[in-house]
Amino acid sequence: MPPVGAARELALDQLDDQRLVTACLAGRPGAFDLIVERHRRSVYQLCYRFVGNHEDASDLSQDVFLRAYRGLKSFRGGSSLSTWLYRIGVNVCLNRVAVKKPVMEDLDARQHVDTAAESQMERVLRQERGVQVRAAIAQLPPKQRATLVLRIYQDLSHDEIAQVLGSSVGAVKANFFHALGNLKKILGAEEDLA
Amino acid sequence: MIAHLTPEQFVDIIDGAVTDSDVPHLTACEICRRQLSELRGLMAEAADIPVPEPSLGYWDRLSARVHDAVAPEAERPRSWSERLFQPRVLIPIFASAFAVAMFVVLQPRERLTRQPPPAVALAPIPSTPLAAAGRAGLPAAVVSLPPLGSANDPQLALVAESGTAFDWDEMRDEIALSPGTDSSAVLDSLTTDEQRELQRLLADEMAQPSVPETRS
Repeated sequence: MPPVGAARELALDQLDDQRLVTACLAGRPGAFDLIVERHRRSVYQLCYRFVGNHEDASDLSQDVFLRAYRGLKSFRGGSSLSTWLYRIGVNVCLNRVAVKKPVMEDLDARQHVDTAAESQMERVLRQERGVQVRAAIAQLPPKQRATLVLRIYQDLSHDEIAQVLGSSVGAVKANFFHALGNLKKILGAEEDLA
Repeated sequence: MIAHLTPEQFVDIIDGAVTDSDVPHLTACEICRRQLSELRGLMAEAADIPVPEPSLGYWDRLSARVHDAVAPEAERPRSWSERLFQPRVLIPIFASAFAVAMFVVLQPRERLTRQPPPAVALAPIPSTPLAAAGRAGLPAAVVSLPPLGSANDPQLALVAESGTAFDWDEMRDEIALSPGTDSSAVLDSLTTDEQRELQRLLADEMAQPSVPETRS
């Protein structure tokens, strides 16, 4: 007959994020691997939005999870685990772009979207515009860029973004507004040049 | 002068927290209406740009990389500070420190609040038979004597005083005068040899020169 504790111990994949963190801190093998598996895509995409290329995004994603592992005991569950990981991700990315200007990857180099329904011309135009927008986002000031990425691509609310960035909701809304305004200016300037 | 929408109002409208019809200014202000339209278009355009999907098997490789990076951290023996700053270690330490602090803080107060002893103190417990005897009738000064063996031990002085109070001549007379101790009867009980020896001892004693009697 198995001990009571073992009978109560649920399989890792049945645990929510908070209990998975607890299991990880208790030393259960595989707990952190499951955290990585659940959040690797969103963390990678966040990093990619910041740096614009696969290699850097991949390195940064690994760095995010390594820092998360080291600081796991400081996770109190006040926010969701994904929000906490985004906070680490934004800090890691901001540090990276502060010391190294990211090399923007040509979009069609890794584009695996379904383009069968598009005409050749439409696809080229869409990809060119995509490159322009990504380049414009990369020129935004770091806080505005972080706000834009978290709001548009990670679909975080302004409250959650405020938690991630450690600022007020009002400041987040102002950052978002100015990020869109600056994006318009940058794209407009490029169109004028073209 | 028309007050245009604030950045926060624009963002609330873009997010859908506030509908266009909730803001009458939009109907009247062409500038704000156009700006709102541009912001919405930009947001939609930016949101439409996907992140390229990495190659097949990339996610498993990323997991493996993270696993390999974390593994040395997981196997690393904990430093003394990490072991110390654990609740199961810190809580008993703080509890003990708190208990000691409370003991130190409260102890003097307890002494201060303690009532002074009554004016008539109980006699000390006698440590010697002499002191016990003192309880039975000797003067109070004798009862509270210091321990035996001190340099000017009053108990020894008491013994010495009692010794000098005896008069050995009186004691001898008392013995001689006590009933049943007639000297002739004693002599009659001696054998002939004993009587002869007694005479010899008396003769020797009488022959010796007289010395002053000393007692020690």
